[in-house]
Amino acid sequence: MKVFGPWLLALIAGLPMVWALWAAASQALDVQAWQALWADPQTLRAWGLGVWTGLASTVLVWLTVARLLANGFIRRQLARYLVHVPALLATPHVAMAIGLVLWLSPSGWVLRLVSPGWTGFDAPPPWLTTQDPWGLGLILALWLKEVPFLVWVAATQMQREDLRRRWQAEHALAQTLGRTPRQAFAQVIWPQLAPRLQWPLLAVLAYGLTVVDMALIIGPATPPTLAVLAWQWLGDADAALQAQGVAAAGLLTLSVALLAAGAVVVLQAGVVLRKVASRGLSLHMTQAPGVVGWGERSRLQANVMGGVIVMAYLAVWWALGVGSVLGVWPFPQVWPTLWTRDAWVQVLGSASTVWTTLGLAVASASVCLLWSVAWFEVASGRWQRALRPVWLLPLVLPSVLWVVGLYGLALQWHLEGQWPGLLLAHALMVLPYVLLALEPAYRAVDPRQAAVVHSLGHGRWTYWWRIKWPLLRRAITSAWAVGFAVSVAQYLPTLYVGAGRYATVTTEAVTHASGGQRSLMSAYAALQMLLPMLAFVGAGWLGRPRQFEKIAPMKDTP
Amino acid sequence: MNAGLHVEIDRLGTAAHAWVRGLRLHVPAGEILTLMGPSGCGKSSVLAAIAGTLASVSEGLRPLQFEGRVQLNGRDITPLPTHLRGVGLVFQDALLFPHMTVAENLLFAVPAGPPASRQARVQQALQEAGLEGLGERDPSTLSGGQRARVALMRALLAEPQALLLDEPFSRLDAALRAQLRPWVFAHLRERRIPVVLVTHDREDIADAQSVVELGHAG
Repeated sequence: MKVFGPWLLALIAGLPMVWALWAAASQALDVQAWQALWADPQTLRAWGLGVWTGLASTVLVWLTVARLLANGFIRRQLARYLVHVPALLATPHVAMAIGLVLWLSPSGWVLRLVSPGWTGFDAPPPWLTTQDPWGLGLILALWLKEVPFLVWVAATQMQREDLRRRWQAEHALAQTLGRTPRQAFAQVIWPQLAPRLQWPLLAVLAYGLTVVDMALIIGPATPPTLAVLAWQWLGDADAALQAQGVAAAGLLTLSVALLAAGAVVVLQAGVVLRKVASRGLSLHMTQAPGVVGWGERSRLQANVMGGVIVMAYLAVWWALGVGSVLGVWPFPQVWPTLWTRDAWVQVLGSASTVWTTLGLAVASASVCLLWSVAWFEVASGRWQRALRPVWLLPLVLPSVLWVVGLYGLALQWHLEGQWPGLLLAHALMVLPYVLLALEPAYRAVDPRQAAVVHSLGHGRWTYWWRIKWPLLRRAITSAWAVGFAVSVAQYLPTLYVGAGRYATVTTEAVTHASGGQRSLMSAYAALQMLLPMLAFVGAGWLGRPRQFEKIAPMKDTP
Repeated sequence: MNAGLHVEIDRLGTAAHAWVRGLRLHVPAGEILTLMGPSGCGKSSVLAAIAGTLASVSEGLRPLQFEGRVQLNGRDITPLPTHLRGVGLVFQDALLFPHMTVAENLLFAVPAGPPASRQARVQQALQEAGLEGLGERDPSTLSGGQRARVALMRALLAEPQALLLDEPFSRLDAALRAQLRPWVFAHLRERRIPVVLVTHDREDIADAQSVVELGHAG
């Protein structure tokens, strides 16, 4: 078990992953396709748009997160962040994009609220407010989605008991040395925190650069971003265009790699600069990259940004709810003249869609949870460190390239367009999230606890069932819910590996978003959001800590 | 001649650096041997080698290698996993399981048997620790001294054939330490088992006749 376990587990997850990578890489090395890609007039612009939206959203997210964390840390509100942020995280990207469209499109609420009074419009103007050619809508949507993600990752780190105590002590110490709370954070805490956020930040960058589903709804259209263009080419009947799509996916991958390397260099340069500067006299000069201006104004900014984000989520949820029961809704009117349940009747009537979604989510989350727990229990620290980058690959690889590989794998294993193939594709996408969700809890386990249990004469199964897993229950249930949510939100793998034969609430939401059926797309988006939220609520209930009778702590009286 | 705990450590350490070399300990039943030494000299690793928990101690670092032999009451326990060795462990932190009540923590240690008699032993242990009526409590509401007593009772309830204490008093303040020591030592001697106590504080020495200074000892 000790010897075979890690090998077996590594093989189970590693084989399909490496196989898919190989299938993608071998297809992406087609010289003719690269020449065609180079010659295509849309390529350069689309590439520029993709890089722009990815970089702009990432920089904005980084600046925002730095300020929010400083505020949360100084005012001891991180625990509160951790309570509320999961609700924001549970809102899928597609649902967020659709909610924003309902507000920002030319016929959306924003313009209705001020029409015709201020604008004089009796009909929606021919503006490109949501699929704007500059990608501003997409940047906004990415910013709204990624800030809570990064805040959550950072806050879970900062709330680890050992780190929290140490950092609070260091923060207090820096203030006794004459720093304001904000300077103390910028000079002492942030330099320690930022390197820990490097990988999640790169995931944000990779996601922003390569996102397809969200960009289909709220991203620029003519030309779209390179990821969307690649996706369109992949779906073309013409084999040459398909190959060009694979090449475009390859180009995206290279771009992600280069930009990620650039980002790492910038972050490292910041660390080096700070070291050099702190060897000199003026610690005042040293600042983490992206964290300029820690005056009182930044506190105000943090409050405003936090408020904007929360308001935007409330507005999106509200829009999806109201949008799903819209009947007749002539333009300048804020409220529809006719409400209807039709969309919901249709959504809930499409039982196969809902069941496919639930089945895939439950199965892939459960499979990944079992695998991850087994991995953490059986694999030694050396195994875990060595293979961690492999398991996290799906996070940084562009999903358009990944689905090419997954489809190749499905074809070769005769699973394309079939449920097992779809499950495999979902599971590979879900795995890194489940691993990441479990990892901090597993790292926090005190090894002496196992020693105590064994010294009391109990073997390792007793330790797992009675001590360790009950204590990790919260992490385990929420990791399952994370996996469930990730699976529900999958768009590309579902369509591509499922060969279009399987519909989930996500694929339906995206389809109806481009079809312009407002109430139907809202209803699917609302359901797409409700399912993971229910999973999180259920996980929270199952993972609640044991409630003891509330009694005041006792003191020793020598 | 074979009774008690015999420990022979030829070499204990990483591949690059030996913490302990050529250490021989013999602890007869009913005796408390105190292992002294400054922090970082490998005292806790010696206990881990005896209990068979080196893997969990060295988690994250390179695994510690142990060359030597541990015998308990004439039985060579070196190849056995921890849970079959019959060696109890108490750390400086009480390490009570936070999802169990005080009584459940104690019950976890009681060997299998009829439920009524297991419960009776838990109640008796609570009484001996001066914690009657506190069995249903959340362990985190106990005071530091109470937690330390529960940890010791828990270790003893498992009926170990030897007990190892790793700086058991170091988290308590001086007054409490002075109060707790005689209670702990009295309970240990009552059991007639070999005990090894690791500490860096001379005040903690249980028996001046039985002290080994690590680093100076052969």
